[in-house]
Amino acid sequence: MSTAEFEEVAMMESDLISARKQAPSELRAENVSVWFGKRKVLENVNIDFPKNTVTALIGPSGCGKSTFIRTLNRLHELIPSAALAGSVLYEGKDIYSSDVDPVHIRLQIGMVFQKPNPFPSMTIRGNVLSGLKLSGMKRDNHDDIVEHTLTAAGLWTEVKERLNHAAGDLSGGQQQRLVIARALAVQPSVLLMDEPCSALDPASTLKIEETIRQLSKEVTIVIVTHNMQQAVRVADNTAFFLAQEGEPGHIVEQGLTTDIFGQPQDQRTLDYVNGRFG
Amino acid sequence: MSTITYQAPLDPEGMVQTPQRPWRHKPRSFTMAVALAVVIPAVISAALFFFSPIPGAIVLTVIYFPLQLVASGIAAWATRGVRGIADSIIIVNAIGSTVFSVVVLLSLLGSLVVRGLRALSPHFIYQNSVFINPSTPLEYGGIGHALVGTILIVAIASLIAVPIGIATAVYITEVRGKAVPYVRFFVQAMSGVPSVVAGLFILTIAVSTGWFSQNALAGGLAYAILMLPTVARTAEEVLKLIPDELRTGALALGSTRARTVMRVVLPAAKTGIITAILLGIARVIGETAPLLLAAGNNDGTVINPFGQAIASIPVYIFNNVAVPYPDAVARAWGAALALMILIAVLFTLARVLGRGRVGRAK
Repeated sequence: MSTAEFEEVAMMESDLISARKQAPSELRAENVSVWFGKRKVLENVNIDFPKNTVTALIGPSGCGKSTFIRTLNRLHELIPSAALAGSVLYEGKDIYSSDVDPVHIRLQIGMVFQKPNPFPSMTIRGNVLSGLKLSGMKRDNHDDIVEHTLTAAGLWTEVKERLNHAAGDLSGGQQQRLVIARALAVQPSVLLMDEPCSALDPASTLKIEETIRQLSKEVTIVIVTHNMQQAVRVADNTAFFLAQEGEPGHIVEQGLTTDIFGQPQDQRTLDYVNGRFG
Repeated sequence: MSTITYQAPLDPEGMVQTPQRPWRHKPRSFTMAVALAVVIPAVISAALFFFSPIPGAIVLTVIYFPLQLVASGIAAWATRGVRGIADSIIIVNAIGSTVFSVVVLLSLLGSLVVRGLRALSPHFIYQNSVFINPSTPLEYGGIGHALVGTILIVAIASLIAVPIGIATAVYITEVRGKAVPYVRFFVQAMSGVPSVVAGLFILTIAVSTGWFSQNALAGGLAYAILMLPTVARTAEEVLKLIPDELRTGALALGSTRARTVMRVVLPAAKTGIITAILLGIARVIGETAPLLLAAGNNDGTVINPFGQAIASIPVYIFNNVAVPYPDAVARAWGAALALMILIAVLFTLARVLGRGRVGRAK
């Protein structure tokens, strides 16, 4: 299938599921503003992530996409100078309210990072199962989980013969698919992906995108990407972030991916999606 | 479809190519210059050493080394021009310093082996020194009691200092609490404590007050004071090298802070942590003063760490080296050699154990 055909199918698909956008939102950010020290980097971000949809966050570097995605599972607070206003609602409840355990939130809202970060002290198999061990989850069918998640991440056929080798022996692209499998093994209901394909070759990228489409039947996915075609291929909805010179980042425009790329309302969105800046 | 078989590329003469290293080909004049620059200073220095009353050390430092610098400089200038001179100075300095430090280390080990080997024998390792006095011939007596004592004392010190040291490093790099600057300051200050002060400290707070007598525990406590800052600081440096992505990765999987440290960060830093422990042991194992004060001495073998005064290799050496009996001095050197061998064995063992399950692919 050529890229053009693929995009066409993706467009049709997203038309079909546009009805799903009306589904009750699972994750929702309300007036989220973010500071590092005194510097405000994000202002009044309001966005909905309906259940079992894929939302792409696009925008030039330094506009706060990665910062924003880290507020969604409380990784933001690990940076000492970080501050935040507004609320993030998960299943209707603010994840920043004082009675919520961040560990519990991160278990349900998983994350895949830009740089592959397999645990070097563990084997490939151990890495896939590490989430279960680290979070104290009890599961019996470990072999099934390993096979299922590695298949979903498009890595199974490459590593099934050497599950007990060190994870560090894998190539960069394989490591990235391994950490995706690792994130899936704890069965999160939301998966945050911060430029998951920036270190991958086109073939692996395609595998990951297929995985994302498959997963979106059961999981709500938020993906930061610099690759417009990727956003078009995988995302139901798209939000365009922008930070003007010296000002905090904010959402310029959001909506169905087809609308954002087809008939954007804002001139800046039009310029960006057509590659005229950023 | 036609198949293409691979053919080795041919060079113009029609010969099959062989691997070459063209960057190693140097002009004859260059080789000559280097040879002269090596030979001339060596010959002049050797002549001075053998045929003049100037001592060897002075020949080496005042004559040979400057001469070598000048000769290499001239050779470099002749073959490569002015730019070569600075290059040659750096190269001669680097090679000279390396050779110098290796020679110092080897001569240290050599003198230890030469003098220690005379006393070394199987019974020297396992017998103790009951009924042995400085004039007893080498056929009798040994350092078994001191070996047991040193191992016992270092084990006690490690049991105390390693967990506390690693916990301190974890506090500094992982917990990152408010007290980090103060903890760092105190650890740093602690590493400046002279070993005799550590011994005095244990002597005054534990032994002199009658809390417990001079024994392995007191010696181990004194050693632990010296070991702790080394372990803590080295472990801190090692943990700092673990990329933050691993920590966030673990936390993003729903891990608690404690599990992240225990299951991801510390295992990833395993080799480094073992190095930290080894450096800690190396820091203390030869210390004499704390044991003279806190552990005392004994000619017999003591196994009970809470019992009476206990012998150790450093104290054994200290007691034997300064007496006017050649056999006692030989015993001291033998004990020093045994201590070096013990350290080598310990380090090898730790490295082998530290290799771990997750190895590289075969």
